[in-house]
Amino acid sequence: MYLILLPILFPILSGAILLIFFRTSLKGNEKAKRKTLVIISGSLLVITALLTITALLTAKESFTLFYLTETLPITFAIDATGTLFSLLAVIVMLCAGFFSFAYMKHEDHESRYYGYYLLVFGVLNALCFAGNLITFYLFFELLTLSSMPLVLHNGSKEAVMAGLKYLFYSLCGAYAALFGIYFIYRNSTTLTFTAGGVLNPSTVAEHGSFLLLVAFVMILGFGVKAGMFPMHAWLPTAHPVAPAPASAVLSAVIVKAGVLAIIRIVYYIFGANFLRGSWMQTAWICLTLITIFMGSMLAYREPVLKKRLAYSTVSQLSYILFGLAVMNDTSLTGGLLHVLAHGFIKAVLFLCAGAIIYTTGKTRVDELRGIGKEMPLTIWCYTIVSLGLIGIPPTGGFISKWYLATGSLKSGLPILDVLGPVILLVSALLTAGYLLPVTIQGFFPGADYDYGKLEKQEPSKLMTVPILIMTVLSVLIGLFPNLITDYLTAIVSAVL
Amino acid sequence: MNFICNFPFFSILLSLFSGTVCSMLPAKAAKVVNRVVIITVGILSAILLLYLLSTGEPFVYWMGHFPAPWGNEIRAGVLEAGMALFFCIIMYLSMAGGAHKLYGEVVESKHNLYYILVNLLLCSLLALVYTNDMFTAYVFVEINTISACGLIMIRQVGRTIEAAVRYMIMSLLGSGLLLFGLCIMYDLTGHLLMSNIKESVSLLVANGEYQIPLIVSVALMCVGLCIKSALFPFHAWLPDAYGYSTVSSAAILSSLVSKGYIFLLIKIIYRVIGFDIFNSTRIIDVLFVFGLMGMIFGSISAIRENDIRRMIAFSSVAQIGYIYMGFGMGTQAGMVASIFHILSHAATKSLLFIAAIGLTDVSNGSRKFIDLTGAAYRNKWAGAAFMAGSLSMVGVPLFSGFISKLLFSQAAVQVEGKMLASLIVLGISTVLNAIYFMKTVIRIYTPVKESSYSGITFREMKGYAVVLVCFIVLNVILGVSSQPVVNMIEQGLAMFA
Amino acid sequence: MIILTILIPFIAGGLVPLLPFRKRWQMEVFLETAVVANSILVWYLLFHHSDSTFLLAHFTGDLNISFRVDGMSMVFAGLVSALWPFATLYAFEYMTKEKNENVFFLFYTLTYGVTLGIAFAANLLTMYFFYELLTLVTVPLVMHTLTREAVLASRKYLYYSLGGAAFAFIGLIMVIVYGSTTDFILGGVFDPERIAGHTNVLLLIYVMAFMGFGVKAAVCPFNSWLPQAGVAPTPVTALLHAVAVVKAGAFAIIRLTYYSFGTDFLKGTWAQDVVMVIVMFTIVYGCSRAVKETHIKRRLAYSTISNLSYILFGAVIMTPLGLVGALSHLVFHAVMKITSFFCAGAIMHQTDRHYVHELDGLGYKMPCIFGIFTISAFALMGVPGLAGFVSKWNLAEAAVESGNPLAWGGIACLLVSALLTAIYMLSMMVRAFFPGKDFDYNTVSDVKDPNWKMLLPLFVFTIFIIGFGLFSQPVVNFFSDVAKGNV
Repeated sequence: MYLILLPILFPILSGAILLIFFRTSLKGNEKAKRKTLVIISGSLLVITALLTITALLTAKESFTLFYLTETLPITFAIDATGTLFSLLAVIVMLCAGFFSFAYMKHEDHESRYYGYYLLVFGVLNALCFAGNLITFYLFFELLTLSSMPLVLHNGSKEAVMAGLKYLFYSLCGAYAALFGIYFIYRNSTTLTFTAGGVLNPSTVAEHGSFLLLVAFVMILGFGVKAGMFPMHAWLPTAHPVAPAPASAVLSAVIVKAGVLAIIRIVYYIFGANFLRGSWMQTAWICLTLITIFMGSMLAYREPVLKKRLAYSTVSQLSYILFGLAVMNDTSLTGGLLHVLAHGFIKAVLFLCAGAIIYTTGKTRVDELRGIGKEMPLTIWCYTIVSLGLIGIPPTGGFISKWYLATGSLKSGLPILDVLGPVILLVSALLTAGYLLPVTIQGFFPGADYDYGKLEKQEPSKLMTVPILIMTVLSVLIGLFPNLITDYLTAIVSAVL
Repeated sequence: MNFICNFPFFSILLSLFSGTVCSMLPAKAAKVVNRVVIITVGILSAILLLYLLSTGEPFVYWMGHFPAPWGNEIRAGVLEAGMALFFCIIMYLSMAGGAHKLYGEVVESKHNLYYILVNLLLCSLLALVYTNDMFTAYVFVEINTISACGLIMIRQVGRTIEAAVRYMIMSLLGSGLLLFGLCIMYDLTGHLLMSNIKESVSLLVANGEYQIPLIVSVALMCVGLCIKSALFPFHAWLPDAYGYSTVSSAAILSSLVSKGYIFLLIKIIYRVIGFDIFNSTRIIDVLFVFGLMGMIFGSISAIRENDIRRMIAFSSVAQIGYIYMGFGMGTQAGMVASIFHILSHAATKSLLFIAAIGLTDVSNGSRKFIDLTGAAYRNKWAGAAFMAGSLSMVGVPLFSGFISKLLFSQAAVQVEGKMLASLIVLGISTVLNAIYFMKTVIRIYTPVKESSYSGITFREMKGYAVVLVCFIVLNVILGVSSQPVVNMIEQGLAMFA
Repeated sequence: MIILTILIPFIAGGLVPLLPFRKRWQMEVFLETAVVANSILVWYLLFHHSDSTFLLAHFTGDLNISFRVDGMSMVFAGLVSALWPFATLYAFEYMTKEKNENVFFLFYTLTYGVTLGIAFAANLLTMYFFYELLTLVTVPLVMHTLTREAVLASRKYLYYSLGGAAFAFIGLIMVIVYGSTTDFILGGVFDPERIAGHTNVLLLIYVMAFMGFGVKAAVCPFNSWLPQAGVAPTPVTALLHAVAVVKAGAFAIIRLTYYSFGTDFLKGTWAQDVVMVIVMFTIVYGCSRAVKETHIKRRLAYSTISNLSYILFGAVIMTPLGLVGALSHLVFHAVMKITSFFCAGAIMHQTDRHYVHELDGLGYKMPCIFGIFTISAFALMGVPGLAGFVSKWNLAEAAVESGNPLAWGGIACLLVSALLTAIYMLSMMVRAFFPGKDFDYNTVSDVKDPNWKMLLPLFVFTIFIIGFGLFSQPVVNFFSDVAKGNV
């Protein structure tokens, strides 16, 4: 029973202890201190990961921790959707965690970073395991609060401002969602996530149109976290200032919490049948398409690498949301698949950017000429996953986009069924346009490039190994999609 | 006829003669005589009041046993006796409270003149209260005016003379109008005794004769008395008169003299014209409107005032407005509230004047607010008394002001058309009261770092402090156990009819 | 018994300047004992009360001063008496830097008695009486420092409060005239026969009386006295301007709405809409001003303005659930706000810094204070698991349940306000904990947490915040009993 609690409580408590006690209690010189810190946090990370996997494998029943009020239980339960997100979280958190052991060498306040990192890990687990809307909301807020220190970690003026911007956008979204929760509570039979929705049929008849509005407000609200237009502006501000592994986590996992939230409310609270065909669905699809296109365009025009990747995240997340919004089995499968594919790919991209910054200090794309010669392994990984994100077979990105496009085409929505795939394609072109210059300039710096200055400066194993692992995973998704799609079909057939 | 029935006559006569006697006595003795007379009259009134309460019947006293319509009559009911008693109490306390200032304010040689005037004033007030004859009333109105003028002028500073002249002119205008009204009334009815006039008036009204002259007569009398009691907009004489005269005079003038006229007006309304007939005229609406305006504008002027005495004087304008608002409601309850407010205001306003003098004394005699800063620490008793008076004015429960507010608003609710107006104005006026009184209270309780003024101890002002305490007690009694008083007023009004 | 709880603070307070205390600690012990004893008495009374009314004095006619313990008074009296001993303890420490302690503690303790008087009042007149008294005894506290600012602030406070009372008074008159009694009876006391045909006038009077009592509860546009009154010493600002005084205003409005005018009479009328709009506006307005404000205490004062209107919002929903929401925010906000005020006070006391931009880098130097401050900030924002969430949940539920579209808009206001709360609270925390890269830690090297007298109340309150957040059920159940009239 309590196994389900362990992956939540353990990292939260250990993170808190790290935050409170580690600053002062450590003796010895700087280097020894750092070593102890890394070893401790590393082992805590691994233990958390193991606990999570144990929980995923063993805990099958839902578990109510306690009652916030008589009708608001804090409940944890593991279902297929939760497992999917949780797996993604564990892998990315672990890889990015190890990456940061190397990366954080050049930043201050390391213990603070690891403390919050562990907190975020625990909260993410809780989010994936949340069994009802209230629990989910609780940890959604906590996620914002605990991940904010990661964003403003380096403490510069713009980092702090970015952190606050992130905080206020996210809270704004969370409160919009809370607005909806109040109404759902009154108009549903329960708040427990149930495939197919929990709305009370009698009140639906009465307040149906208002509930659609509520659903729309909630999607907008949770959509803030998922970078959906019009509340996407925090993403390109927050990502560049955060330490690279933190941006990787932010982009690969934390924003996915917004996606998970939308899945939960659309498919487990309102139910696709209630929303399908309404004005709300149309509006939502339009928003996602706008976001896809706009994100890509902005990324294309952006000179700073990490910021470019952030815009790319904005665009790619809306691929997923588009899949969710179309609400048929194919598109939903595509969306869920893209969660995984994008998660790994974007983590790798950010880690690569981090590795570049760490070794060379370069942040702008036009400074990266010849970088492929200096750090071949890193840039190779970068290139492979870029191809995946563009959607070139046989990578993971191709499969998911295929599902999204076919799903859209067979949805039968007027205009949008064709418009969707078109925009996906345009955006894919743009993706190629903004990702590949790094590769091209990196490997082919041009004739006037001074090879004399070139020196091999591949980063340490702690950095390259996590990058490699996730690159391989992203390719594997593309090579053996059936394993995953079977699993996803189970989810999809349950909720539709 | 019971011996007690002579008391009203005795008290009037006593005060009249003591005035004459005072002119021959040295100042000290005059002071004693004055005090004794006030106390005696007070005791007589108290006995009379008890007697009337026990019999429950008013009586008419024929002067020289000439029956109506030839003789002159005195009439005493619960209200009259109570009023007389109350006037005596206030007058005694005011005199006692201002006694120590008299030496500074009035030339030694004129002290016995001062006491003559006070005695005459008392006499005229009592006469106004008791008389049942319109012409007698008029005569004593004039006596009242003259003695009041004297009281204002006796402190011979430039502004008091101006104030006295102004008061004189306004007052004479008022009494002139009253006389006109009286003449017309006499023409119409052929009577001067109130009860006889009333019979004729109701006959006239029933027959529908002489409507316009009747209204004109009533209106003239009302306007005359309004001018004399300083209803807005006829209040121009008031701030100077109250603000610059000696402290006792100010206290007496504000709390008694104007109230004497108002009481006369009540008598005219009830005993001469008849309550119902009066209500059916438009005059009450006019009184109502001017009452409301007085409540607001009096307070606004007070807020703009920078002199504590003048501020209190302006506040009187507002309070008189309350009383006329009560008249204007045209109901029994409104009248009860007004009469209660006469008492409550008299008790509070004289307290404020007396306390203010204590505060200015310890501030080098300056009456400007800036100099009064911290005065309450230099004269603790005066400070506390001023605060109590202010709270009563603002209408904080436990003090008399709260009860009159309560009565006013309860009365207002019963009058359909005038309810909202009076309630809202009451509210606004309370806010305004709060502004200027609380400003002052905070001012006097704000300590100054280095004070150039010396304080005063309890030893140096025992008598003064006792007076203040008496005033506060009087105020609180009115505030806490108001029910008997209200009952008495209702009983008295019933006897009027 | 009831009267005793009101009298003890009066006597104890009155004795403070009179008794010859040689040392300061003697006075502290004396006062603390008196206050604690009184609180114990109050709680004893709450558990062993009888339904009978204690008549103190006849006023005029059938108006009287009398006391009674009912559900609402239990909530308010319980809250006040629970917080007072801690606040007194905190005040001892805080006031070491201020002058004229005796006068301060005199009025501070008097206020306790007066507040209990409001809580236990059995009818509208008694409550009005103590309400006025409350204004008067708290003015010296606001004026305490005697600076020009303080005098101006107290003046404004007086004008506003007395003026408000004047309009509340009109409401009192209406209840006297049109009600069958002035006693508080859940559901209202209006006599249906007497009010026939006077509905609109009564509604207008209700709005006026609402605004009148609303002055104390800092309803817009009558809120400007509250931030100004922040010049008072922090224990005053914390206890009076976050709990006793302002809550007395909210309490009075609840009494007026639920126990005198009656919700059946008011619900669905234009008067309800008017007051609800005013309240909603205040919620947002208070928060936005808080965001703009840079003085810490004034910022918290604006936050109080907004939060008080949460309570009123619950009250004007005019359903039992609304009352539950109002009551829970009444209690929970008290705990949260007193905590944040005490933290602000501790910061001012320890470092003499008053503005938000001076907080840089203090976080790690005063970990306890800022830790608690952060928790209270989260609670105010409404993070689940802390007290603020529960009360907001109750309020929003009531609004949804009422089916009144205007109230649904109110939920949006609540959430906008929550966001703004996050902005103005967390920007302080971020400054304190993440002062920035080039921050020179030497400037704060001599800063440390205050001593136990300040910390103990804070820790206790924090436990309350978390406790109410996690185990609110018994309390909320009690509130719903109150709202249904079962207590």
